Amino acid sequence: MPYLNTPPLIRGIFFSAMFFLVPLWCSTTLAQVDADLERRSVDFSEQIEPLLRRHCQRCHGEKHDEGGLRLNRRIDAIGEADSELPIVVPGHAGESLLISRLIDADAGELMPLDGEPLSQQEVDLLGRWIDEGAAWPETKSKGKHWAYEAIKRPDVPDHLTTEAVIDHFIDQGIATHGLVANPRMQPASVARRASLALIGLPPTPNDIEQFVASSKSASGQAYSSLVDRLLASPRYGERWAVPWLDLARYADSNGFQADQIRDNWAYRDWVIRVFNQGMPFDEFVTDQLAGDLRPNATSDQRIATGFHRMTTCNVEAGVHPEANRVNQVVDRVNTTATVFLGTTLECAQCHDHKYDPFSQKDYYRFFAYFNNTPLEVKQTSAVTWDFYGPKMDLPLEQNRKQKLADQNAELRKLRVKRDQVATESDSQFEDWIKRLRDQQPPLWESVTLVDFKTTGNEDVSLQPDGAVLLSGEVPPTVEHTFVLQPPAKPITAIRVELLTDDSIPGSGPGRGEAGRPNVILSEVTCEVMSGEEKNKVALTTAVADYSQPNWDVARAIDGDRKTGWAIGGQFGKPHWAIFLLAEPLLLDPESQSLKVNLGQYFGSGRVAGKPRVSASTQSADLLFLPDDLRSMFKGEKLSKQQRKKLRTEFEKVDKRLLELDQSIARIEKELKKLVPETTLVMQEMESPRETFVLRRGDYESRGDIVEAMTPGALPRDSTVAATGDRMELARWLTSAENPLLARVTVNRWWAELFGAGLVPTLEDLGTQSDAPSHPELLDWLASELIDSGWSMKHIHKLMVTSDAFQRTAELTKVMVANDPVNRYLARGPRFRLPAEMIRDNALAISGLLSEKMYGPPIMPYQPDKIWRSVGRNQPKWVAAKDENRFRRGAYVVWKRAAPYPSFINFDAPDRGTCTVNRGRSNTPLQALTLLNDPAYVEMALALADRVISESPSTDDRERVRYAIKLAVSRDAKEHEIDILVGLLSSERDDLKNQAQFVKARTTISVPALELRSTDMQELAAWFAVANAILNLDETMNQ
Amino acid sequence: MNVLPTSLGRRALFQRAGFGLGGVALTQLLRQSGADSPAVNNEQQAGLPERVAVGHQPHFPAKIKNVIYLHMVGAPSHLDLFDLKPELQKRSGEDCPKELFESGKFAFVRDLPKLLGTPENPKHRFTRSGDSGLPISNLLPNLQGVADELTLIKSMHTNEFNHGPAQMFMLSGFGQFGRPSVGSWVNYGLGSENENLPGFVVLITGSVLGAGSPAWGSGFLPSVHQGVEFRSQGDPVLFLSNPKGVEPSSRKRIIDTVNAMNQAQLADLGDPEIATRISQYELAYRMQTSVPELMDISSESKAVHESYGTQPGKNSFANNCLLARRLVERGVRFVQLFDQGWDSHNSVFSNVARKAKQVDQPVAALIRDLRQRGLLDSTLVVWSSEFGRTPFAQGTNKADKAGRDHHKDAFTVWVAGGGTKGGMSFGETDDLGYTIAENPVHVHDFNATLLHLMGMNHERLTFRYQGRQYRLTDVEGRVVREILS
Repeated sequence: MPYLNTPPLIRGIFFSAMFFLVPLWCSTTLAQVDADLERRSVDFSEQIEPLLRRHCQRCHGEKHDEGGLRLNRRIDAIGEADSELPIVVPGHAGESLLISRLIDADAGELMPLDGEPLSQQEVDLLGRWIDEGAAWPETKSKGKHWAYEAIKRPDVPDHLTTEAVIDHFIDQGIATHGLVANPRMQPASVARRASLALIGLPPTPNDIEQFVASSKSASGQAYSSLVDRLLASPRYGERWAVPWLDLARYADSNGFQADQIRDNWAYRDWVIRVFNQGMPFDEFVTDQLAGDLRPNATSDQRIATGFHRMTTCNVEAGVHPEANRVNQVVDRVNTTATVFLGTTLECAQCHDHKYDPFSQKDYYRFFAYFNNTPLEVKQTSAVTWDFYGPKMDLPLEQNRKQKLADQNAELRKLRVKRDQVATESDSQFEDWIKRLRDQQPPLWESVTLVDFKTTGNEDVSLQPDGAVLLSGEVPPTVEHTFVLQPPAKPITAIRVELLTDDSIPGSGPGRGEAGRPNVILSEVTCEVMSGEEKNKVALTTAVADYSQPNWDVARAIDGDRKTGWAIGGQFGKPHWAIFLLAEPLLLDPESQSLKVNLGQYFGSGRVAGKPRVSASTQSADLLFLPDDLRSMFKGEKLSKQQRKKLRTEFEKVDKRLLELDQSIARIEKELKKLVPETTLVMQEMESPRETFVLRRGDYESRGDIVEAMTPGALPRDSTVAATGDRMELARWLTSAENPLLARVTVNRWWAELFGAGLVPTLEDLGTQSDAPSHPELLDWLASELIDSGWSMKHIHKLMVTSDAFQRTAELTKVMVANDPVNRYLARGPRFRLPAEMIRDNALAISGLLSEKMYGPPIMPYQPDKIWRSVGRNQPKWVAAKDENRFRRGAYVVWKRAAPYPSFINFDAPDRGTCTVNRGRSNTPLQALTLLNDPAYVEMALALADRVISESPSTDDRERVRYAIKLAVSRDAKEHEIDILVGLLSSERDDLKNQAQFVKARTTISVPALELRSTDMQELAAWFAVANAILNLDETMNQ
Repeated sequence: MNVLPTSLGRRALFQRAGFGLGGVALTQLLRQSGADSPAVNNEQQAGLPERVAVGHQPHFPAKIKNVIYLHMVGAPSHLDLFDLKPELQKRSGEDCPKELFESGKFAFVRDLPKLLGTPENPKHRFTRSGDSGLPISNLLPNLQGVADELTLIKSMHTNEFNHGPAQMFMLSGFGQFGRPSVGSWVNYGLGSENENLPGFVVLITGSVLGAGSPAWGSGFLPSVHQGVEFRSQGDPVLFLSNPKGVEPSSRKRIIDTVNAMNQAQLADLGDPEIATRISQYELAYRMQTSVPELMDISSESKAVHESYGTQPGKNSFANNCLLARRLVERGVRFVQLFDQGWDSHNSVFSNVARKAKQVDQPVAALIRDLRQRGLLDSTLVVWSSEFGRTPFAQGTNKADKAGRDHHKDAFTVWVAGGGTKGGMSFGETDDLGYTIAENPVHVHDFNATLLHLMGMNHERLTFRYQGRQYRLTDVEGRVVREILS
């Protein structure tokens, strides 16, 4: 469907082209076509009632009678309005207010007041219905909306095989609408359409040849077995995961201000895997909603519940946890209703639904199923909230499991040992206390600052006290280097101070922003300079007056630039950190100097405004003693509490303990690499929450208490146990009594394969939905889905093996007039691929595609400054240089505040909410992406190389033929070859004596592709041809 | 009988611009096509589809054609810039009245805070400015100079008190993700006036706002209506420049080839999307010239640079203000500027002074410049933020360190330009600036007014999604007629 949620009949896009096309063929007049159409009489229930429901009854219906008017019963509609004018005068559209209020502003404000005007076709239809006598069967007005009625398997003629049923109904529609079906496409094109539709990738030239050959011999079977092969391909799950992940609002980040990365990818992998395995769809639904509640739930069943952990989460400093939680439950309710019921239950959040049969109470009864999971934010410091909530460890391979167990055992041993040593050292502790009490030395030597360097462009002002005051430009990241003249005694430690100053925004210590002047010391390193010679000085232990949670000062010397020491939560005051040298270091003040480097790599200007570095020659234990402990020795006796504090401190400096602690830290670090990855899951709390109706949807205005229950207007299944939990909900949704799940599901699949749903409003099958084009087909497919044991592949196979799917896409003049948007499928479905498949397809054509499956999200190339840090703790975007850059789009990391830009240009959503139906726009930004995005440029180079080296012939025309076959599967036409060879020749001419362009084109990829071509001049010319081929409309269409 | 509204062009630019049309049958078809836009394209109705029009006739005559929307990300302290409260100054340091404090919701402050008045010194003093005598802080001396153009709305209030949700609420009328931004609604309703540029352009200084790109997203509207970010570094529009080794002549040739091939397909299949594709490739090629030309401000006169404080090539708010004028000149409907760094949980007085200094000159210059060029009558300049700041202190109440928390119940926005009175202030807060005393204006009211100025009835600018007619203003909103001229 070209456009999101606009009924296709009124979609202007088609009309633009009709202007273009009509002059091409004018043999029959449009008036004749109209006349053909008008011969059929209007059917109330099929054509008129849906119009009234959709446009009128939300204000003039059963529940509302604006202006005293109801249009849900004939008896009301035939009456008079407040103006005493008749609303519907059977036989006289011209006298009926129903018509004049739609089109004549003089009759009063144009209706509908709150929505899009009716199309001329709709008005004409209403007019014709009135002129024909305004037939309104009384029985109809009592009936339920069709979608809430039980699915009834329609009768089909006995002789029809299952495979023929779709075409049976489609052919009826074609005939009724005065259309003539197009013929089947050539085998190669059929193979391409099926392949793109089912696995999102084109067939290889080899596949095509085989298929074309076998089509000639065993025509019926060849296509069927091709479809079977596609359905069995591992690529099938990757392709079908994409629309499902839109529904599941799958993303790899939280959304909102602190759009941090979270680990969910195991859920994405689960979707791919079970689609490939052919899991029955009802099981698929049940696992996602309630897998954790199955008896002895397996890992996979728990991973599946990640479906409802995809909800966004605001961890902004001022978040109110309960408000956040209620928003999340609301999202779960609304998403569940949209995805599995195709209803707009969310309208009942604040009041009873205006036009579908759901009360506000129904809403909160539904809400109660989801109201029993824990909070998902946790306060980790005064102003910091973190994303939280149930996670599970992913199952490990045996090998890694063993290693993990070994290391854990080792860790336990070391800890026992540490406890022993700690006990043994009691007497040493007493000695230590005595020594401290006796010592009164100056702690820090004043060292002379010889030089200061910065990698930033700040203004530097050296202060008399040895500090350095920085102003002017704020570098996002920086290294500050202090060159110090050493004291004459051995240096034991260095101290880094982050001082405040009024000239720094917010007084500092950091310069980034006044409200949050954090400094992140990523790495502190130290070197001795002896003339030209440099020697690294090892720093072992770090202590600071304060460290932000998760940013302990020890991380400033862990060799990892991504971690560091930060002081978030305590701004506006000075801080210090002390780093102990591994060995005391005696330097010659005359010939040697000490260089201390403060690496601040976090970004966003989290850099020091006034740092100072000094050195000490005192023993470590004394240095590390915080001021408050040192002051304890002023008194005569130590309290028990003071002794306890000192003991903790002592253990930090005892050499044996220190060594043990280092071993423990090392193993902990190793364990970190071994511990299983995690994924987010649903988990019930021990004691359930009470659920209230929330007045106006406000979480603080509680109304009546409600119990979990399914909506009253939909049938309940007595065989489903009323357990009041998500399992009950899942059982009800997948029960045979639920009329919606199967209809909603087959309708969405139909839209994926045919471009638009049988009901075009995929997200809503309620009273406001568009009427189904083929109601019987919809019900037949729904019942076939259930009867097949909810087999997705079975239904997909029926759909793609239908004649309707295999037709040519040629648009005839009759179609322009009678069915411009192809609701009746007299022509084959031809439409643009979704964003991920645009890229997958181009990667496959160029021969670069990697078939590696599963695992953490990948970061292929994207331009700088897209991955902007919003909030904190962001990983950097490091573009993959290995095969990860060529993996399928389903694996690309999805950050909600900054999604992958070339996907966004092709209508991918940000996945902040459930998306049922992506748009299908056609924009110049798409042209720019495919022409110039370095990722696609690289693919063009690879395609050029592939064509030159793989084409069976070296003849230009043969090579072009091969390239076209790679891209669009079919044989190129001679005039197409002329066009492309023309481009090739011009490029060759232009590139003569232009070595720099040749070089630029052929070295465009980073890292360089392994090219098979040797003639770079030729490759550069073919590059242009490949670039053009990857940009063809046909290449990006299925 | 009247012909029903039909339209073609609301998404014309970015969906399919500019191929020629003709023939009587076309108009007939058009009329059959029905409306796909709430606002009406008059040209189509008149049966003169000589070109795909990219403008639309609104619901009623518009006062303005363009909006330049300046969003101060993080929320400035309106109390210290536009809404001076002498009573608050007098009572500064006293405990905040308990009943007031307990009635509100705040992001950070949990214990009863102290009231915090604007410092009483010349730097922070307010001056009655212009003929209208609007009181504006001395922190904004240049803005004082255009006071007679400004309409202050001092009684704004919103529903959300955290940045991300409040930004979404201010800009999409909803505190979660999923709804279209105001710029995309306008773009949907009216389209662009320039065939070579998008109808909704976003310019950013500082880090991107907390809500991220959804703040200019199109929600459930077709994605062609979303804001297009013009970047100050790298390609101004993503992927605008040709790869190395591909000269413009070669790019032209490649595009011509693509289009010739597509033309052949079109002849075979007649799929209208192919025709659209052809025109989009032509447009992409034109954009490769028009966008860099637009972004290059070096052609502006010295006087212009001096008045804005712009420097070609720099990423600054001043440069973005000048770019906003250039975009509006070229017919871009909605230009949204985001400027980060206004959040002031501590040192609010020094921070607001520093930020005010950055924006004062360019904003005033923009208004003057638009006025001089005759564009201000058809353009609305909006100064806004996601919420205001509390009249009490967060943390210490010492003047040099004190901060202000987020405040959703009262804040100030202002507008300048066509259709508004100027030189006036509307709505009042109470003596402490805590709640609204008079003429409250909710976010929905403000958005209703903005749409009204553009000729659109906020109750009729709707989009059907999930069976419901969605609006920017949800089910609320009142046009604030009192500020309209």
